[in-house]
Amino acid sequence: MHRRYFFWVALLLVLLFSGAPFALAGMPTEKIKETTNEILAIVTVPDRKEVPVNAEMKKRIRKAVDKRFDWEEMARRSLARHWKKRTDLEKTQFVVLFGKLLERTYLDKVEGYSGEKVVYLGESIDDNYAVVNVKIITAKNEEIDVAYRLRQKGDDWLVYDISVAGVSLVNNYRVQFNSIIARSSYESLVKRLKEKIAPN
Amino acid sequence: MEKTSGIVLMAFFACLLTGTLSFAECLDNQQIYRSEYTLRYSESAPLEEGYTAGLETNKASKNKTPAAVSPILLTSSAPVRDKGMPSRVKESSEPLVLAQQVEPEEELQDGNDLETIADPLEPINRAIYHFNDKLYFWLLKPVATGYKAVTPEKVRVGMKNVFYNLAFPIRFVNCLLQAKGKAACDEFVRFFTNSTIGMGGFIDVAGNKLKLKKYDEDLGQTFGAYGAGPGFFINWPIFGPSSVRDTFGSAGDAFLEPLNYMIPKSKYRIPVGAYNTINKTSLSIGEYEDLKKAALDPYIAIRDAYYQYRRAQIRE
Repeated sequence: MHRRYFFWVALLLVLLFSGAPFALAGMPTEKIKETTNEILAIVTVPDRKEVPVNAEMKKRIRKAVDKRFDWEEMARRSLARHWKKRTDLEKTQFVVLFGKLLERTYLDKVEGYSGEKVVYLGESIDDNYAVVNVKIITAKNEEIDVAYRLRQKGDDWLVYDISVAGVSLVNNYRVQFNSIIARSSYESLVKRLKEKIAPN
Repeated sequence: MEKTSGIVLMAFFACLLTGTLSFAECLDNQQIYRSEYTLRYSESAPLEEGYTAGLETNKASKNKTPAAVSPILLTSSAPVRDKGMPSRVKESSEPLVLAQQVEPEEELQDGNDLETIADPLEPINRAIYHFNDKLYFWLLKPVATGYKAVTPEKVRVGMKNVFYNLAFPIRFVNCLLQAKGKAACDEFVRFFTNSTIGMGGFIDVAGNKLKLKKYDEDLGQTFGAYGAGPGFFINWPIFGPSSVRDTFGSAGDAFLEPLNYMIPKSKYRIPVGAYNTINKTSLSIGEYEDLKKAALDPYIAIRDAYYQYRRAQIRE
């Protein structure tokens, strides 16, 4: 069951607006819907089936996602205790690498989108942190629970974590990175990241 | 005739029992909540998601102890098991199904900010991971792909539903053990409806028409609900990731598995089980590959995903 998690995280970057307006939904949910609609507008062109997702579309999707996802926060949390020990340059580099890793892994999955429905279940806000809960319903009528975690930055809400069926993306990478750094070194982690990202 | 009246009587008592248990459930929630709290506190667990976030006091929040205490008071008076909203919801359109709470600001500090499952057998588990990996790519996937090519999706989904439906006793008993009255009742209705109108479970009538939710409980989750930690990680050959607790759970559940009783000759049990696995795999080819693609260390990714997934299942 946990295998599904990675496929669905990918799909989450390309969600379908459920169609039922939630008039009472708060800011965080609105922000999520905004980004969702943007991405959908890019992906669902009329003759979508014949047109594969090309580089141009991917760039636009990436731009839309960049507006909503706080890459630095995600990278920082995934390094956890190892973040403080890094120099500023290393930190910047890592944020870039992490962003590329997610992009390479998940943005490619955009093509797998095939009309899944999203139901917005609600949100909870505490100070400047929020959780938006959604449910994805597939064509086979499977239901996947998903939670976005957002943090307020000024007027905006940015996503810093996604949980699919209770499995948090950031936590999962955190355990992986920690294990790699513990067994070898941070440099070795960076090397593995670069190898993973390299086009092959 | 006697058989029918027997069944009806059984159903009546089941609902009576579950009704009583629903009431007991509310009281029970408090207890389960507190035993989870004790467990987590003693693990010196860091911040984590989910509604127990208020319970855990991260080292980081020691300068926020008053704030950390009040969530305990707030949340323990409003248990958020399978309904209800967290007390701090400002705007919400519907009761939260997951009821995941927001965690206080996570400050990254040295020390135990890494909550994960113990893995003292890591070298062995890793070796078994490689074995299972090869087993998947060399055996399971080719067979499942071939099967997928000749069998329509509706049939495969239907068969998956049949096997799922048959495991009803496991879910039902464990719902009762966890005092989840409504869940047990719903599961009963699901089983009854799907077995009859749904043609032996082939069609999920209860899900499609009645919109009844699935309550996928098992003995491992029951142990967890009563405060048992996962123990350490065990990666079984063929069966895949598990933990000490969940292994005992699966062993116990085997006594409730109808297939073990329905199939008189034990020599047929393995082929049937194998078919079930092939059928399920045929519906999810590609997911394992995606997981490997997304991970830097697939073994750890699987281990941690398993741990988080089970933890979330136990909570809800």
